[in-house]
Amino acid sequence: MAVRLERIDEYRWRIPREGAMRTEGLVFASEQMMEALQQEQALEQVRNVATLPGIVGPSMAMPDIHWGYGFPIGGVAAFGADEGVVSPGGVGYDINCGVRLMASSLQAQELMSVQKPLADLLFRTIPSGVGSHRTDFRLSPKQERRVLAEGARWAVERGFGTRNDLDHIEEGGAIPGADPGLISDRALERGRSQLGTLGSGNHFLEVQRVDKIFDPEVAETLGLFQDQVTVSIHTGSRGLGYQVCDDFLRVMRQASFRYGINLPDRQLCCAPLSSPEGKDYLAAMAAAANYAFANRQMITSWVREAFARIFGMGQDQLRLRLIYDVCHNIAKWEEHRVKGRSMRLCVHRKGATRAFAPGHPQIPEAYRKVGQPVLIPGDMGRCSYVLVGAAGAMEETYGSCCHGAGRLLSRHAAKRAAQGRDPVAELARQGILVRASSRATVSEEISEAYKNVSDVVRVVERAGLGRIVARLKPMIVVKG
Amino acid sequence: MGLEAGGETLGELFVNAALALRTVLLGDRCLVPDLVQEVELPGEDSEELLVAWLSEILYLLETRGLCPCAFEIDEIDGKRLRGRIRGLCVVECAIELEREVKAVTWHRLSVSCNEGRWRARVYLDL
Repeated sequence: MAVRLERIDEYRWRIPREGAMRTEGLVFASEQMMEALQQEQALEQVRNVATLPGIVGPSMAMPDIHWGYGFPIGGVAAFGADEGVVSPGGVGYDINCGVRLMASSLQAQELMSVQKPLADLLFRTIPSGVGSHRTDFRLSPKQERRVLAEGARWAVERGFGTRNDLDHIEEGGAIPGADPGLISDRALERGRSQLGTLGSGNHFLEVQRVDKIFDPEVAETLGLFQDQVTVSIHTGSRGLGYQVCDDFLRVMRQASFRYGINLPDRQLCCAPLSSPEGKDYLAAMAAAANYAFANRQMITSWVREAFARIFGMGQDQLRLRLIYDVCHNIAKWEEHRVKGRSMRLCVHRKGATRAFAPGHPQIPEAYRKVGQPVLIPGDMGRCSYVLVGAAGAMEETYGSCCHGAGRLLSRHAAKRAAQGRDPVAELARQGILVRASSRATVSEEISEAYKNVSDVVRVVERAGLGRIVARLKPMIVVKG
Repeated sequence: MGLEAGGETLGELFVNAALALRTVLLGDRCLVPDLVQEVELPGEDSEELLVAWLSEILYLLETRGLCPCAFEIDEIDGKRLRGRIRGLCVVECAIELEREVKAVTWHRLSVSCNEGRWRARVYLDL
């Protein structure tokens, strides 16, 4: 059935309530994006999410929306504590997939002479690729349970980073309420040797330069300057998170029957937030999310070591200060104002980033007056952006905005588009060194496979959800 | 990414779905297996069983390094499956996989039998 759409303004589209929908849909997109979107099933997925019990406000999609499994990628939905549900499909398999950004004291020019050895060393130091695991580091069962409970703090307490890092991670690098006892043996087994690995697909490590500052005042507050060398890390909870999602989809499938929840798609299976199944999922999801925080923290530490070795400088001189770390696949309890009153909501963000506005108490003190940093990676040939959350996000999207560029081509179509080309050589001609475990991944991740991230963040800014602060251009890309 | 498979029997359907997954992971390379892993799985219905079967292949690949090559189903009745996966050690044979499959999803999952022919559709999260 075609999805009915009503245009609200230049960047907002309503999917009117009909059939089993309990609320309307709200999509943030330009006209051009919407034309492309109508060719795929993502809008139908926005409509499907609107049928879930206890949804508060509209079922939303950010401008990087594309077809996912169950929930669309770029989807945001909030559920009330009493009537609402939690759905593993609203978080995704890669629980707490996220991005972190570090800023060095180096100028891009200083990197040019060591670009190649740095790329090689980073590629050797950080395992990437399909099923990547560390041969030098394997968690004992006891250590793994601590990681699941403590997140990035576990890594920092063992010398992988500093206390200051923890202040610059969403939730301080550990989501409260995590229960490692709810994680299956299979998930634990998958997680044991993957801490400190990037993985494959769209995950990456990038060394970038600050190409353009849009908001000098905010950039200064964040510690960003023109031509500065930065590092971004995009990865999540690896096989452990995939297994937790898989395990709980089975539980939720039964729970959906038990609680009489009608589902338009089985991937949306869910349980009431107040039910034992719902509470267990949130506690297991928090544990997997903490593993992801620790994963990015370990990689951060090894990146700092690689930089120190190549530049022959101490880590204090290089700084590589953590600007911020955001989750973009998560469900979290948050307080939001709905129709003038404060409500405790479970906000699902699947391929969407928290974007709290200036003044929010959960923003690190140093950034509180400018808003929460929002890290939006693009594709490996173009650019990424740093934004800060704006008031509009608190008013309309439960403090959320987009998470990336959003796929335009399927992996198959991207591979076909890359046939007969050498994407690594093409990027090298632009001054971007790519190190990748798999040629197939590089082909599937070519720039044309993604929307132009500049278009996506423009919609976010013009819709009032965030403010663009800086643009980053890749210099080194490590892919799986 | 979606997979579609067919078969004259439910067992053949499951073998063909596993071969499709193998192609996603490895391309169309010809590999001769020298390891075998016996598999026995429960399921509420044939759809849950299919997700469990394909997920088992991914689990063994990631945790035991078993690169899947060939598949056999001895018994299958929609509630239980017994069979084996033949493969190679990813590390010892230095096998480079084409791509990572995160999981086998329930999205638009279907297993059906029409006029004696079994068909399945399943989506993978990459």
